[in-house]
Amino acid sequence: MSRNELTAAEREELDALDRILAREPVSERHLELAALVDSVRAGAPRMDPAFAARLDAQVAERAARRRPRAVTPHLARPGLRRIALASGGLVAAAVAFTIVISSGVLNGSRHTPSVESGLGAARTVPRTPASAAPATSKRSVGPTIAAPTAGAGAGASNFAASPALHGAARLVHKDSTLTLATSPATMQSVANRIVAATERTGGVVQSSNVKIAGAASHASFTLAVPSGHLNRLIATLSALASVRALNQSTNDITDSYNQEQARLTDNAATRSALLAQLATAATAAQQTSLQKQLNRLEARIAAEHREIDRLANQGHTATLAVGVVAGASAAKHAASAGPFTTAFNRALHALEAILAIALVALAIVLPFALSALALWWGVTSVRQRARERAMRTA
Amino acid sequence: MTVIAAVPTSGPGASEQFEQLYRSSAADVYAYVASLLRDRSAAEDVTALAFERAFRRRALFDVRRGTPRSWLFAIARNAALDELRRRRRSGALLHDVADTTSELEDLDPDLADRRLLVREGLAELAAGDREVILLKFVGRLSNAELARVLRCSESNAGTRLHRAIERLREVCGVTQ
Repeated sequence: MSRNELTAAEREELDALDRILAREPVSERHLELAALVDSVRAGAPRMDPAFAARLDAQVAERAARRRPRAVTPHLARPGLRRIALASGGLVAAAVAFTIVISSGVLNGSRHTPSVESGLGAARTVPRTPASAAPATSKRSVGPTIAAPTAGAGAGASNFAASPALHGAARLVHKDSTLTLATSPATMQSVANRIVAATERTGGVVQSSNVKIAGAASHASFTLAVPSGHLNRLIATLSALASVRALNQSTNDITDSYNQEQARLTDNAATRSALLAQLATAATAAQQTSLQKQLNRLEARIAAEHREIDRLANQGHTATLAVGVVAGASAAKHAASAGPFTTAFNRALHALEAILAIALVALAIVLPFALSALALWWGVTSVRQRARERAMRTA
Repeated sequence: MTVIAAVPTSGPGASEQFEQLYRSSAADVYAYVASLLRDRSAAEDVTALAFERAFRRRALFDVRRGTPRSWLFAIARNAALDELRRRRRSGALLHDVADTTSELEDLDPDLADRRLLVREGLAELAAGDREVILLKFVGRLSNAELARVLRCSESNAGTRLHRAIERLREVCGVTQ
């Protein structure tokens, strides 16, 4: 028999004891137990009336001090408090999630890469596969960057150059080629978005060719866009489909521009001199000769004006050749190129970062918490054992 | 007795429940503590401390872990044992609980003899046995409440109680 098990008679006696303490009648054979209980209870120490009064006053005073808390009776209940805490936590989590999603949507809709105005300066756009492409001051073909899984923010290195020609200003013509891959089913949609994005950035479609023919579908565009908006357009187009290749080149046309300007200045001075000679020409033959020289000179000046305008236009306007090819692997990317999807992905990245921070914080806090818990448990156990020891030796 | 107004939470935290608990338990808690400590002055301090702690922790009371009465007696027991530990460390001498022998003079001699016999027998018991009997007889705790206070299983509490009663009978020379 287990040491904790009682016989039926013993259990019956304990039941009788409960009845005695509840002042219920018991059988005759338990009267002795009732007498024992009565004797123990009668011999128990009783409170001194003075102490009872002091205790009353003490408890009443404590109650009076805590009474103001009774104005929030519902929250004082542990169950309701837990519910309130849980609700508060849920609301806080919802607010945090909304903020993250909202910031992601805003970032996704803005999607504005930085465009610097320093002439000839090179600045890379973050998270851009082509960011390693070197800038070239002379016309050169930049390295082709294979980007089989380009992300939504894929763009290009930014070789922006202001066309201003004052002081050390440089005039740079930018020429880029972008090859995208998408599924045949989304070819037309991507083509439409390319046109729309070009117009949104202030550019024009100089030429386009879209062919929908299953796996042989392709599209090509020649776009002219303000130089300062080229990188933004490339980034936008890169988000429409998977980037297969990006080729960027720059051509510094400052010297040509300055040479034309110098020629124009010289010719203008020559023209002024000829006009002065013409005004003082004595003979008709002199006048005719001077007039012919003036005519030739003005033709050259007009040509120089046109060349200067062309060079300036080259510096202000960048060209972007976009090719779109069919590729099955790109279908998923093309289907998820919407701004909300981009924003959602950004939000997920933000949540991943938050989770990572939380994990790191947990990794730091957890050992301390476990140590504190173990310490608390140890102290409690030791104290309880000491109490039991005190009881045994009392 | 003064009416206590407490923060209305569940169990003893609610004003009415705490008031009821205080009214119904104060005398029993004192009797239990005084019997345990065998020092009236210390018993008063410990009883006051127990109600102070109970009032302070009333929001932590969890009805799923026992009755308010067992919760209060557990607090009183810990306070009393802490007092015993303190006295053991400091080597303080025991004062005696007030002599109630005079109360027996007015009783029937047989009853007075019996009560005196039981009182002396109780004093001879081991502290653990005496405590179990006091918690049951004076505190009027159920076996489940007893188990909660003594931090043991209910069956173990029943066994300990029955053995303590048997030992009390033995030392008192009482036969069942």
